[in-house]
Amino acid sequence: MRTAQKVLVIDDDEVVGRSFDRVLSEKGYAVSTALDGEEALEKCGSEEYDVVFTDIKMPGMDGLEVTKRIKAKCPWTPVVIITGYGTAENEAKAKVLGVSGFVQKPLTPEMIEGITAKALLEKAEPAAAQEEEMAGEVISRLPEVEEIEGRLKSVARFVKNVALLIAAPFLGLAYAIAFPFIGLGVAIMLGIRAWRQRSRTV
Amino acid sequence: MRRIYVNPLPVRVWHWINATGFVALIVTGLQIRYGGLIGLMSFETAVDLHNWVGFVVIGNYFIWLFFYLFSDKITVYHPELNPRKYYREAFRQIRYYGFGILRGDPNPHHANPYNKFNPLQRMLYQIIMLLIVPIQFVTGLLLWDVTRFAGAVEWLGGVRVVDTVHVLIFIFFAGFLFIHIYLASLGRTPSAHFKAMFTGYEEEEDEAGEDDPGRKSTRGTGGEPGLAP
Repeated sequence: MRTAQKVLVIDDDEVVGRSFDRVLSEKGYAVSTALDGEEALEKCGSEEYDVVFTDIKMPGMDGLEVTKRIKAKCPWTPVVIITGYGTAENEAKAKVLGVSGFVQKPLTPEMIEGITAKALLEKAEPAAAQEEEMAGEVISRLPEVEEIEGRLKSVARFVKNVALLIAAPFLGLAYAIAFPFIGLGVAIMLGIRAWRQRSRTV
Repeated sequence: MRRIYVNPLPVRVWHWINATGFVALIVTGLQIRYGGLIGLMSFETAVDLHNWVGFVVIGNYFIWLFFYLFSDKITVYHPELNPRKYYREAFRQIRYYGFGILRGDPNPHHANPYNKFNPLQRMLYQIIMLLIVPIQFVTGLLLWDVTRFAGAVEWLGGVRVVDTVHVLIFIFFAGFLFIHIYLASLGRTPSAHFKAMFTGYEEEEDEAGEDDPGRKSTRGTGGEPGLAP
């Protein structure tokens, strides 16, 4: 059986930790939270985490200092900065420390899920990613290749956007038509669940 | 207080031209269709105005379309491809509008430039902006010069069919206008969304929210159905 991947969220705002917990627990991650740098380092000392999220502005030790210490101890652990006060200076400092991501609050549940998956993927395939990066660097040194690659990417993005835009109203219409049926189904399901619970208590 | 830039300039320009155009089209449309009931202007003036404003609104639509086609904010109109996720979020939003809003519960949706609409708005605006509005433009254009477009009109089932579709959509839009204005008043303050459509910025408290880290969970901060496309 696969063990749950461990995530540590460091933020002095409890709500942030709770939000990560709610989003990631649903997806099978084991989420721990810490309210400051000291608590986080203590937790990192006793347990190994697969990915760490940290805020920058915290009382006592700031997120960059926490990152530095975690990276010194376990350089393979991906650390992602989550901040509401993202400055270019902080971002540059974070990059120097080798963070896996620097994201601005507010975060949607999809973003939380996405950056966690990305950070874990980087951890799982560092060698492959490095090789790919090196190969990419060699190829992208050619300016023509870079230009063509850029053009192709923007054309592909445009085509995808147009396709999604064309599909959007039809999908929206399908969702709208199915809405009452789905609603009825959910209502029946909730009713059955409530009835079962009630008969169990009686 | 956080300020989130959700309504870029082209969208604001498009929105207010569109709003004015729609009111003019509804008024002149009423005059054309129900001339016996109201007498704001002569039939000929109403037809002329309706045609001219119609072309302005069609042209204006392309400001909106081109802006989104060539902007990364097009994600605002992208459909949710996972039905399970879509309905879960949509029912959460319905629950909020049904009774959560009356209890002062936090709005489950938080607007940002790339995800401006809640699931219900997104569905509605996808259908309106990308299906109903273009149908209205096409039927309007055909009715503008029935002789020139006789082939197309015939192909669609005749003038009666084209006219019925045009009028039904006109009635829908006339009703939608009132709902849109009412729902736009359900923001953080009654005028918050209206102001945002002039300034471009929605305002949100700094305090972190329950659903999304770093977001405030007060009622109506962004994501009300009144938010214009």
